[in-house]
Amino acid sequence: MPLEPATHDRPASRAALLRCVGVSKFFGGVRALNRVSLDLFPGEIVALVGDNGAGKSTLVKILSGIYRPDEGELWLGSERVEHLTARRARDLGVETVYQHLSLCDNLGAAANVFLGREPVRWRMGPFRVLDEERAIVEARRRIEEVGVALDDLSVPVRRLSGGQRQAIAIARALVSAHRLVMFDEPTAALGVKQTHVTLELIRRVAAQGIAVVLISHNLDDVFAVAQRIVALRLGQVSLDAPLAEVSRATVVAVMTGLAFRERELS
Amino acid sequence: MTGNAGASRGVDRIVRHHGRNLGLALALALALAVLAIFSPKYMTLDNFVVVALQMAFIGIAALGTAHLVIGGNIDLSIGSLFALTAVVSAMLSRVVPPVLAMTLAITLGAMIGWLNGALVWRIKLSPIIITLGSLAILRGVVLLLTGGYSVRGVPREFAAIGQERLLGLPMPVIALGILAVLAQWILVRTTLGRHLFAIGGNRDACEAAGIPVRRLVLGTFFVNGAIVGLSGVLAASRFGSASPSFGVALELDVITAVILGGVAFTGGEGNVLGVMLAVALLGVINSGIVSLGIDPHYAEVVKGAALVVAVTLDQLSLEARERYRKMTAMRER
Repeated sequence: MPLEPATHDRPASRAALLRCVGVSKFFGGVRALNRVSLDLFPGEIVALVGDNGAGKSTLVKILSGIYRPDEGELWLGSERVEHLTARRARDLGVETVYQHLSLCDNLGAAANVFLGREPVRWRMGPFRVLDEERAIVEARRRIEEVGVALDDLSVPVRRLSGGQRQAIAIARALVSAHRLVMFDEPTAALGVKQTHVTLELIRRVAAQGIAVVLISHNLDDVFAVAQRIVALRLGQVSLDAPLAEVSRATVVAVMTGLAFRERELS
Repeated sequence: MTGNAGASRGVDRIVRHHGRNLGLALALALALAVLAIFSPKYMTLDNFVVVALQMAFIGIAALGTAHLVIGGNIDLSIGSLFALTAVVSAMLSRVVPPVLAMTLAITLGAMIGWLNGALVWRIKLSPIIITLGSLAILRGVVLLLTGGYSVRGVPREFAAIGQERLLGLPMPVIALGILAVLAQWILVRTTLGRHLFAIGGNRDACEAAGIPVRRLVLGTFFVNGAIVGLSGVLAASRFGSASPSFGVALELDVITAVILGGVAFTGGEGNVLGVMLAVALLGVINSGIVSLGIDPHYAEVVKGAALVVAVTLDQLSLEARERYRKMTAMRER
């Protein structure tokens, strides 16, 4: 497996965009996350891997403000974030692109890109009048920025291909994400060619200086785009290393817990 | 060549956006042509005003239901709510000024609508089954309130409001016209309408995008209740009395009009013009059958058949679209 050459140095010298320090989360008696610490840097693609139930989605939900951590701290730059809500996370420039895309199939591309944040011409009481022209122009620019051309932005997106839909979902995330975008299994439902397009989109997002977290079960994807790998196992970080320094065998071993047993045995 | 492709795409677009409405307009024209030939006395302005008045109450209620269904919900209790607000406004008009009686009845309608919405939201079951219960409850309340008798003896001022005419058009028809324009404007031009379509398309996506889904869903139930209330109040005022059998099977007429008018039962699709064309078509069919001397019971058969055909066509086109999507996805791979 040929490795992508690292596009930039490991940004140890740069300030972290977002830091998790000793974050834990309990569900009843179950400790879903156990003192997880993680630093995310601008422009870096971090692959978050782990078996089912390892705590990946719990961590993502904490970072996107859906869950509140029971222990630990979240830092955005030099500012500690006390109560991160979904709304607050979005305002702070953190977005998630979900596995099931979360597009409205019945709406056009422009409407989807600005879903919940529609450009408004004027308002009167509860009525806010849509600025469709601006939405189309802006959406077109944003979709082109992620490298996909669409000729009609009002066609219901159900008529579009998987790759085009993925581009719309990413363009939407980028409307307000200026710090961090998390991709939850972005290629799980895609074919080979569309996977390729999507990975290219992810690279472009990072190239804009945004921190990227890529959750994937697919090690091919991970090794193709990520610069750093973080493995979770039973709610703990079991590996956090530059990808260039680890082999696939190590990653598999760490994910499945084989590495622990070997260490214990030796 | 490109010009040709562009033109065919333009045609495709018109058919995609307006195909249903073109079909409805053609059906309406056809029905009127048949009536013009076989029952020329039908084709008078006075008769059209009468038909419009008959359909105005269904049309007004259909606007509320169209919004609900586009947002992925439905309220079956509207027939009973119509009767309740009519009866309550007529009863109140005997003790309080007519405008206040109407306002109170409309408010009651809105609150009951909201309550239905709150139940539907909380009990994440099909809104059909919950509001079917409300339908029975409210009809029972109407019968208890009235003892089964019509409410008569309303003051003249109360009746005058619904019997008012403007430019030769009865008040309920005017109300329908104003509300239809407003409803279309909200659906197409405002963020509220956009979010309703979005919720009907993918509710989870809307939650994730920070749209206040709960407030919007309960809001449409509230507004729908108010609209049905307005319709009921106008009926009581227009007829100068309110019968406990008002609005029996209104929900069937309204839902038929809404679905026939191109609102997808699964939510996320629809427009006001289509619904209004469907209301007009059903009105012409209803009255035309009588005018042609055909057994009026056929009207029921035609209405029911229209609903079944509309739903079947919607489902078939949905499946065709799904196939098309799979096909393009395969090709891309």
